[in-house]
Amino acid sequence: MIVGQIPFSEFFSLLSNQGLRAKMGPFNMQIRTASSTLAEHLYSLYGNYELVERDLVEFHVQISPVRLIKKPFSPHALFFLDGRSLFPPFPAEQALAALEWGINLAVAARINHLLLFHSAIVERKGYAVILPASPGSGKTTLCTALVHRGYRLFSDEFGLMDPGREIFLPIPRLMPLKNESIRAIRNYLPEAVLGPEIRNTHKGTITHVRPPTESIARSDETAKAKWIIFPKWVSDAPLRLDPLPDSEAFLLLASNSFNYEVLGDTSFQAVTRLIRSCRCYKLIYSEFDAALTAIDALTDDI
Amino acid sequence: MTYKPPAHHALLLNALINPASLVEYNATKWELLLRLARKVKLLGRLAIDLKNRGLLDHIPLRAANLLQSSLIQVKRLQQITHWELNRISWALKDTGAPVVALKGVAYFLAGVPESDGRMYVDLDIMVPKDRLSDVESTLTKKGWVHHHKLSAYDEHYYRAWSHEIPPLIHSERETEVDIHHTLSPPTSRLEINTGLLFSAAVTAGNSGYRILCPADMVLHCAVNLFQNNELADDLRDLLDIHDLLLFFSKNEKDFWEKLIERANQLNLGRSLFYGLYFSRFIFQTPIPENLENDLNEKPNPLSRRIMHYLVPQALFPLHPDKHSRHALVARSLLYLRSHWIRMPIHLLVPHLAYKTYLSIFRAKQ
Repeated sequence: MIVGQIPFSEFFSLLSNQGLRAKMGPFNMQIRTASSTLAEHLYSLYGNYELVERDLVEFHVQISPVRLIKKPFSPHALFFLDGRSLFPPFPAEQALAALEWGINLAVAARINHLLLFHSAIVERKGYAVILPASPGSGKTTLCTALVHRGYRLFSDEFGLMDPGREIFLPIPRLMPLKNESIRAIRNYLPEAVLGPEIRNTHKGTITHVRPPTESIARSDETAKAKWIIFPKWVSDAPLRLDPLPDSEAFLLLASNSFNYEVLGDTSFQAVTRLIRSCRCYKLIYSEFDAALTAIDALTDDI
Repeated sequence: MTYKPPAHHALLLNALINPASLVEYNATKWELLLRLARKVKLLGRLAIDLKNRGLLDHIPLRAANLLQSSLIQVKRLQQITHWELNRISWALKDTGAPVVALKGVAYFLAGVPESDGRMYVDLDIMVPKDRLSDVESTLTKKGWVHHHKLSAYDEHYYRAWSHEIPPLIHSERETEVDIHHTLSPPTSRLEINTGLLFSAAVTAGNSGYRILCPADMVLHCAVNLFQNNELADDLRDLLDIHDLLLFFSKNEKDFWEKLIERANQLNLGRSLFYGLYFSRFIFQTPIPENLENDLNEKPNPLSRRIMHYLVPQALFPLHPDKHSRHALVARSLLYLRSHWIRMPIHLLVPHLAYKTYLSIFRAKQ
């Protein structure tokens, strides 16, 4: 059963009592909040996630109101992971962004049986395309465009790799667009389902894109990777797609991982094999159409 | 007498005492167990217990994945802590100051098998008090810096009242180094002859590193838990005592006699009493009966009764979904106790008042 199949009243009652238990890729999350505003946003954005019925849950998170002595009349909230607050209080209207960010933080802090790349991953024709990039390079924006044009979303943020089996695991979560990207996506993809615009976060204005229904329904289907593309959005730049030497790709990929050092030898071996089995490129783009055409052409050639 | 625990304590305790029974746990039990074990830093321990028995494939996959994840993190922390000890020894070689490794690293160096899955975040070492300034200035010349920016108050707290100096960290690495000069704060009522600890210290295997002798290692663990700590969520430390007692009583000749003799010599009977008492009470450690009778200093019967009731409530983690009022009260009382026995009242009252002030007006910023 998926979240959207239960009525809102039941959904909100779960959130505010024992917790909403939902499956997000390989992990189960339990979310609690008494905020009806947050519940309304989640009801539409989390509608496609499967409810956890019998299995155990790995992450227990909660958003709770907090009163600040310095700002007694401005409602704030805290994010808790297993009862422990992970970051300072935030204005209550930013709860959705904090929840999404907090869950990312929780996964990054606890998971080491998988190698976690800071990377978007999409799949086409059964193979994963890895799009690693540093913040601000337009990774989420490009990923949003791709997954509305025939690619299956694995993640816009976490490349989860099983280092032993060399496969990638989908974890389709909300994709946070920032600032100018919001308008760019609204214009380019009028069909995309977007959440509320959340202003004045530490990253500016944020809006979340709901993952396509199919991406969530197929989130147990893993894939091997065939392409690694380092994207960078540059205003007005002509499109360029250049091959990248393996050594450079290795360094860029390893330094864009959350737990490369923690896994030690395992991650060194895994990234080495990954680079050897992939074709690596650097992409500079300013327009979605040109970028999509180039990535389509690349991935046509299996 | 054995501990008759509330259900969630029993769930965790059973996992620690009888790991093989974990293959019977269902998803609900596992979910709670994982949350409890994480709270008291024992996920790595459960992971190694199951791994050594070849049982990681016989439990729910999600649980096995979380345990593997913790074990990988534990191994990484062990690796960088051992490297830090290597670098500290290198940096201090020319000073000639004796360096004794303490706590987690020391248990590992001593060969305690369970230390394989033990999480340790900091490197703890001890140097003689008269070598402290030399050690500190040598390390700061060689790239270590003070880890936190300290207020004048905190600086004073460390220098005047603590058994450690403010923690150091190498500017290129991530392991905090805690440098002790004795086992317990000088403001406490204990007066430990530290010279005896250094002269009895032993070299661990062929590592070249120095660690406390077996009896002193147990005493330090007990002092740390029952004298220095606030006991909340410190089950791991009691488990350390249990592990050390099992290991040394098997491998050291006349270990029990030496332990009691040493506790009497160092006047650490009270802490050892509690260590033996609760290790036996909770983990059913096979300690010779009436061993504690030979201790010169023992808590009086009233203290024992109060501690008997309070300590398990604090050591075990709270139930994540329903905090018992009893446990919260027990924890507050033990928090006060820990300060009471660490500091005389004329220091304690202003200290707690200042900490309370900070917690209200600073942390909220």
